[in-house]
Amino acid sequence: MTDSSFCGYDGDREDALTACLYDDGTDGPERALFEAHLFTCASCREELAALRGVRSQLARWAPPEPAIGTIHNPPPAIRNPQSASASASAMPWWRQVPAWAQVAAALLFLGVSAAIANLDVRYDASGLNVRTGWMQTPAAAPIGGAPAGGGTAALTSTDAATPWRAELAALEQQLRAEMRSVRTAAAQPPAAMRAAAPMSDADLVKRVRALVDESEKRQQRELALRVAEVVRDVATQRQADLVKIDRTLGVVQNNLGVEVLRDRQRLDILYRASQRQ
Amino acid sequence: MPWTDEELVAKSISGDADSFNELVLRWERPIYALAYRTIGREEDARDVCQETFLRAFRALPGFRGQAKFSSWLYRIALNLCRDWVRRERRTPVVQPPEDVDLIEMAAAAEPSESIEDLVARKDLSRLVERAMALLPEEQRTAIVLKEYHGLTFQEIAELVGCPLSTVKTRLYQGLTVLRRELAKNQKAQL
Repeated sequence: MTDSSFCGYDGDREDALTACLYDDGTDGPERALFEAHLFTCASCREELAALRGVRSQLARWAPPEPAIGTIHNPPPAIRNPQSASASASAMPWWRQVPAWAQVAAALLFLGVSAAIANLDVRYDASGLNVRTGWMQTPAAAPIGGAPAGGGTAALTSTDAATPWRAELAALEQQLRAEMRSVRTAAAQPPAAMRAAAPMSDADLVKRVRALVDESEKRQQRELALRVAEVVRDVATQRQADLVKIDRTLGVVQNNLGVEVLRDRQRLDILYRASQRQ
Repeated sequence: MPWTDEELVAKSISGDADSFNELVLRWERPIYALAYRTIGREEDARDVCQETFLRAFRALPGFRGQAKFSSWLYRIALNLCRDWVRRERRTPVVQPPEDVDLIEMAAAAEPSESIEDLVARKDLSRLVERAMALLPEEQRTAIVLKEYHGLTFQEIAELVGCPLSTVKTRLYQGLTVLRRELAKNQKAQL
C-alpha cells in the first residue's frame, strides 16, 4: 500500500508523513528529521504531494445544506417562548391573543357568570351578605325589630342611613357601561388593527413574490445544470460510440483486406492456369 | 464580545434556556456535517443531530467541564452515529445528493462559477463521497474529524479512545485508500 520501497527513513514513516501533512503543532525532533529526509527522498516527496492532492479533493466534499430550521427544532423544554420572532408560530394560541382582549374576555366571563348566578351583594347593618341563585329571598329584617310588612319603609330608612348604597349603585352602573363597551370592542377589531391588515397583506404579497422569484431562479439554475449534465453525458457517449465505431470499422476493414487478398490470390491462380492452357 | 461555550454551558445549567439555544445555533451545522459524513444519509444525519442536542441538554447538569463542550458534543454525536451503523448492520451508504440539494448547490455557488465548473465540482464531490464510503468506520471517522472539523490528533485520540499513533496510522491508511480510489475513479471518467 505504501510507496516506501526506495525510502530509507529510519523512523515511523507513516507517522512522520501524517504529521508533516497536517501542521498540527506537534513539532519535534522527529519532524525536523523527516523534513531533512524529504530533501533527499523523492519517494516521500512524491507521496506527500499526492496526499496533499487528496486533501484538496476532500475539501470539495460538502454535505447537503439542510433547509434553515430543519436541523434542530428545539423541544419545548429548551425553547424560549419570548425570544425569537420565528418561534411566535410555535407559541400556544392563547399567548398570541392581545392582553386587552384577554382582560375583556375575563370581565365578560365574570359579568355573564354573575348574571347567571344572580349574584346579590349587600352590605347593611347586619354586615356583608353575598347571595346567589334565583330563589326569592326573605326581606331583610328591619332595624329595630319592625314588622315584615313595612319593608319599603325599612329600605328607605336603610338608604338614608347608608350613603354608600348610592356609591355602590354608581359603581354598578359604571361596571355595566364598561362591560358593554368591552363587548362592543370584542365584537369588532380595533381601528389600529384594521389599518394594519392591508399593510401585512402587502408585505405578504411582496414576500410571496420574492419567494416565487427565488424559486424561478433556482429552477433556471437547476435546468441549466441538468442541461449541462445531459450535454456532458451525450458528449461522453458520443466519444465512446465513435471509439466503438472506429474499432468496428477497423475490424471490418481488416476482414475486407483479407477477403480482397484471397480474391487476388484466386485471380492469380486462375490467371496462371489460363496462361498455361 | 460573544459568550464562550463554557460560559453558555454554565448559564444553561443555571436555567437559562436562551444560552442552550445559542449553543445549538453555534454547533448544529458542524454536528450535522459530522453525522452526514459519517453515516451518509441526510435524514438520519438530521435525526442524529437532533438527538445529540437532546442528549446534551439532558446530560448538561452532569457536564463538569472536564473536556471542551465541543469535544463532549462530538463524542455524543459519534456514539449515536456508531449506534446507527450497528443498528442498521451495514456500512454507511453515501447517497447522491437529492434534487433539492442540487438546487441549493446551484444557489450557493458563486455567481462567477460557470455551469461546467459547477458540474465538475459536483462530480468531484460525488467521487469523494463514494470513496469515503469505502473506508472502514474508524478511518473515515478520523479523516472526517481531522479534515472537516480541524481537531488535533490528541483530541481525536481522546474522542475515539485510542492512542495518538493509531490516529495517525488510521489517517495515513485512509488517505492512501482515498488516493487510490480517487485516481481510479478519475481514470474511469476520462
